[in-house]
Amino acid sequence: MNLLDIRNLSIELDTPSGRVLAVDKVSLSIKEGEFRGLVGESGSGKSLLAQAIIGVLEDKWHVHADRFHWRGIDLLRLTIDERRALLCRDIAMIFQEPMSCLDPTTLIGEQLSEAIDTSQLSGYFWQRKKQRKEAVIKLLHKVGIKKHSLCINSYPHQLTEAICQRVMIAIALAGRPILLIADEPTAAMESTNQGQIFRLLANLNQLKNMSILLISHDLENLTHWTNTITVMYSGQFVESGSTEQIFNKPMHPYTRALVDSSTKANLQLPSKSRLMTLPGSIPLLQHLPIGCRLGPRCPRAQKTCVAAPKVSNFHGHKVSCHFPLIRGNRKKDSVKHKAVKGIN
Amino acid sequence: MSVLLDVKEITKSFKLKGHWYHKRKFTALSPLSFAIEANKTLAIVGETGSGKSTLAKILVGAESPTTGKIYLNGQLLQNQRFKQRCQHIRMIFQDSGTTLNPSLTIQELLDEPLILNTELNEKERQQLIRTTLQKVGLLGDHMNFYPHMFSGGQKQRISLARAIILQPQVIILDEALAALDPSLRSQMINLLLDLQQQMGLAYILISHNLGIVRHFSDDVMVMSHGKVVESGKTIEVMRNPQHKVTQKLMMSQNIQLK
Repeated sequence: MNLLDIRNLSIELDTPSGRVLAVDKVSLSIKEGEFRGLVGESGSGKSLLAQAIIGVLEDKWHVHADRFHWRGIDLLRLTIDERRALLCRDIAMIFQEPMSCLDPTTLIGEQLSEAIDTSQLSGYFWQRKKQRKEAVIKLLHKVGIKKHSLCINSYPHQLTEAICQRVMIAIALAGRPILLIADEPTAAMESTNQGQIFRLLANLNQLKNMSILLISHDLENLTHWTNTITVMYSGQFVESGSTEQIFNKPMHPYTRALVDSSTKANLQLPSKSRLMTLPGSIPLLQHLPIGCRLGPRCPRAQKTCVAAPKVSNFHGHKVSCHFPLIRGNRKKDSVKHKAVKGIN
Repeated sequence: MSVLLDVKEITKSFKLKGHWYHKRKFTALSPLSFAIEANKTLAIVGETGSGKSTLAKILVGAESPTTGKIYLNGQLLQNQRFKQRCQHIRMIFQDSGTTLNPSLTIQELLDEPLILNTELNEKERQQLIRTTLQKVGLLGDHMNFYPHMFSGGQKQRISLARAIILQPQVIILDEALAALDPSLRSQMINLLLDLQQQMGLAYILISHNLGIVRHFSDDVMVMSHGKVVESGKTIEVMRNPQHKVTQKLMMSQNIQLK
């Protein structure tokens, strides 16, 4: 069963020059125990999507969706309080810069014990304090911090970035969430630390059967860890499927370009040869192209691309393109060609 | 081919707070030597605190080495003579957004190194700025824009233009590719490779992305705690990593070369 089921989610922003469609009809579904990656370059709306899921967007953003279900409950129909109660029980999120998200004036131990709900503690009130402390130590052990007493008695600035991120994960785990949303947890971190954090997330996913939505801008770092990947570009849905499908047989020209431009995926290329790349740069929110937003940069773009493409499904591999890269399936293209010629 | 930049037995140590008779020192760089030829790229990899940024600062002249000498084309580089050095060795930083002065137009930004280092008149300078901007894939008319009007990838191109405008021989890329989005990063790599072929530049690439290091560099130097623990041809080092630090780096990025 799908934990999270989002269909055609749009997020609009009020600006002086009218409303801007920042996220345009994105679909996302997460199953129980799934490790899903969400990939997009800067300005693709991936962080907005995550914020819309946990409902922390400001009033100037307007969220619409055809379906926005969490375990069968329609989130958009709930009142804010109901929604908050539901989500804080089931979903947790960790953010980009752990140092700036933790309170600099409070000890790590206090911040952690704050996150532990009283309903998790049993026993009489005079036992609570001790239990709380034990729960904190247990959480720290869970995320792989062995020197718990040292960590509890220090402030965020005394710890390294990677340990701060572990503390963030521990705080997120305190509520025993079913879904953990990680918004670029390893940005500006060294590769060895990055690997540790990813390994920790993968362990949580496998041992505790926790679903994880991992957001990143880099496809090549994700592929080793995720089961399924969703790719976004400039606020539009591009492609989703299993990691092998996305990485080995990408159907969308954008995903293709991402994979081809990755130096890690092309280790067999002779060094210093030219990399495949898309021309141009990422469009700004004020100057979005109509239709498929990749249009001006796409090597396969044709006249029909001024209309936004529909999502087509090939055995669970969803792609949103008029001219997907499929071998032996040229028919669909040619039919569309004729249709366009007929109109003109 | 002749050696372009020759670094001999460089060390750097910082004085720490201590007593009169109990002076404490922190050694950031143990003696290290290397040499680069034109048209080649040397990659420096290592963890934070391994001294790679200190090395870059010493090469570019922002810090002076405690001991050791640097030769460029066989000529000794002196610490005080910045003019000689900044014409030949240029540097690009990680965050291009903060290294461009927001109150100057691109023309004024690129004019500064020309006024300070060359004898060109105004017309020649403008012409040179125009051609340099075209070289890095921007338009000549972009020179009247301010930095905030450009996107991240374009800003990185402007800092590249500022680096190459004096026709240098060595460019130091200090994590210059790390903050870019993947599709812009590959554009930038292609551009850097093209410029290397056209101008015969030597690059010193400081990076922790081993995929880029593999693709971009000829030689690699692995540093840890101020010491060079492994160095050699990139392909050979990455095929058969000997030292623990190298192996750990490659493991953490899941890279295996056959």
